[in-house]
Amino acid sequence: MTNKDYVKPGDFKPIDLLAVAAAREVNDGEVVFAGTGLPMLAIMLAQLTSAPSAVCIYEAGTVDGRPISLPTSVGDARCAYQASIASGLFDVFGQLQRGRVDLAFLGGAEIDQYGNVNTTAMGGYYPMGKRLTGSGGNNDINALAKRTVFIMIQEKRRFVERCSYITSPGWRIPKWPEGDFVHKREVYGKAFRGGPGAVISNMGVFRFDDDGIMYLDTVHPGFTPEQVKENCSFDLNISRVSGKTELPTYRDLELLYNDIDPEGIFLP
Amino acid sequence: MSRPEVVSLQEAIGLINDGDMLTFGGFTIWRRPMAAIMEIIRQGKKDLHLVMVNGGTHDDMLVGAGCVKVWESCWVGHELYGKIGGNFSRRAEAGEIIYEDYSHVQMVYRLAAGAQGIPFMPTYASMGSDVLNPEYDMLGKAGLRDGSNPKIPVRKYEMYRDPFYGTEVCLIPAANPDWCIAHVNMVGSEGTVRVFGQKYSDEEAMKAADKLIVITEQIVPEEYIRREPERNLVPGHLVDYVVELPWGAHPTGCFGSYEADGAFINNFFTSTRTQEGFDAWAEEWIFGVKDHEEYLNRLGVSRLETLRASVALGYSTKVKRGSR
Repeated sequence: MTNKDYVKPGDFKPIDLLAVAAAREVNDGEVVFAGTGLPMLAIMLAQLTSAPSAVCIYEAGTVDGRPISLPTSVGDARCAYQASIASGLFDVFGQLQRGRVDLAFLGGAEIDQYGNVNTTAMGGYYPMGKRLTGSGGNNDINALAKRTVFIMIQEKRRFVERCSYITSPGWRIPKWPEGDFVHKREVYGKAFRGGPGAVISNMGVFRFDDDGIMYLDTVHPGFTPEQVKENCSFDLNISRVSGKTELPTYRDLELLYNDIDPEGIFLP
Repeated sequence: MSRPEVVSLQEAIGLINDGDMLTFGGFTIWRRPMAAIMEIIRQGKKDLHLVMVNGGTHDDMLVGAGCVKVWESCWVGHELYGKIGGNFSRRAEAGEIIYEDYSHVQMVYRLAAGAQGIPFMPTYASMGSDVLNPEYDMLGKAGLRDGSNPKIPVRKYEMYRDPFYGTEVCLIPAANPDWCIAHVNMVGSEGTVRVFGQKYSDEEAMKAADKLIVITEQIVPEEYIRREPERNLVPGHLVDYVVELPWGAHPTGCFGSYEADGAFINNFFTSTRTQEGFDAWAEEWIFGVKDHEEYLNRLGVSRLETLRASVALGYSTKVKRGSR
């Protein structure tokens, strides 16, 4: 076995595959907006493997940091270590709105088949159902990055027909004040930059077709497309499955556990 | 007043009236004016209207103590140490607080417009989300957009066709809170403010407010802070009150000075599952101490020394953060 070999099933945890699959979404040279948690592991792993010249922006205001200790959040002092700039939200969100961000990693509690995401309220906003954190930058980033990748837990109640609150706009979105669902291009016009490119769950990797509708691309080892479909509330398109999700390599796991998160912060 | 007044924390907080509009420096669980938050609670302020770029441990504590009537922001939680704002969620679900959600960009722009002295800023952010759903204009539903309060805009937002390039943009109203309370690393004796590390949205928040209270780790000779003016954030003539209060952001972290106290924040978060839990927590850590000095003594020297940041790195290397 060399360290470039794929890990055998059973030798890795589901969360490892999430981090590795997310890292593989990064193309070398891209400007990447990353949030707290798995997105940090993904961008750091990408920089150590296939995308050494990718630039990472954290929304609290650091650009292209080279942390030697894993930050626990985007506001952490560690994000600023060897950064080219330590500024603030006005600066980095301005770069996003200016169209400089190629890829962003996000998460959410609910997602629909158009890549609309809810991080605000489950079961209704007024009156309030179950209140979550709220948008933070999720809304802005899904709106204005050229491509977004969501990391989600695969459950029927999370892959929903319709989000109970659209925090973050995907491919088909309400045009206010009427609220009719139209393609994102119609709402954004000249400011249109792109939208959700992939969703990575603990069961598979999903992508979006030309109409902005989610389909299953690959399934993780141990799952069938039918099982994934059973864990969606909407009628998931499983006619375009291209195969199995590429496994992590031994080298990926070494980097994740020994170099990126040796303290066990996001990888317990 | 062209030079700020150096006052005690009790004096500074004593100037805030019930019903005032407040904003804060910092970001989620970083550089929050926590000693000031606890003093606001001790002084029993009521009906506060918070307008913040984002929330965190600070506003969740105020909400738990019943100090807040209106919350306008885009996020609340404790990062790795608490996945939601326990007090905020409970009170929002019970209909005990007026909440108004915007997006991060929109909140930054509300304060940036306020800081620039203009009535609104345009942005593409957030179009096609439920932030713009007319049914979710919560201040409107509460009857607060009738123009009677000059600090509350009569609309949540306005869609607008830009007359120059023909794009659709969303206009976001400025915010000019009565007060900004910010925690910083260093203030000169004439009030010049310096922040280490990321600036978050401190500049916008500080400049948008009518009155600015700066809590600082240390006051240094003005001559020292003026040797490198390019490193300074805000001049003294924009600062109204300065409070020198080392460790005043604990349990949140302060770049270059100390780490976020994750165990403390997580313990606080755990207590907020119920109102009774939070009340007991507040009895111990807020009402059970007379002031910030007693609070620090209760924390103890060894705990604080573990949190102290490395001068070279800006953070502590002695804190256990994960499972290994």
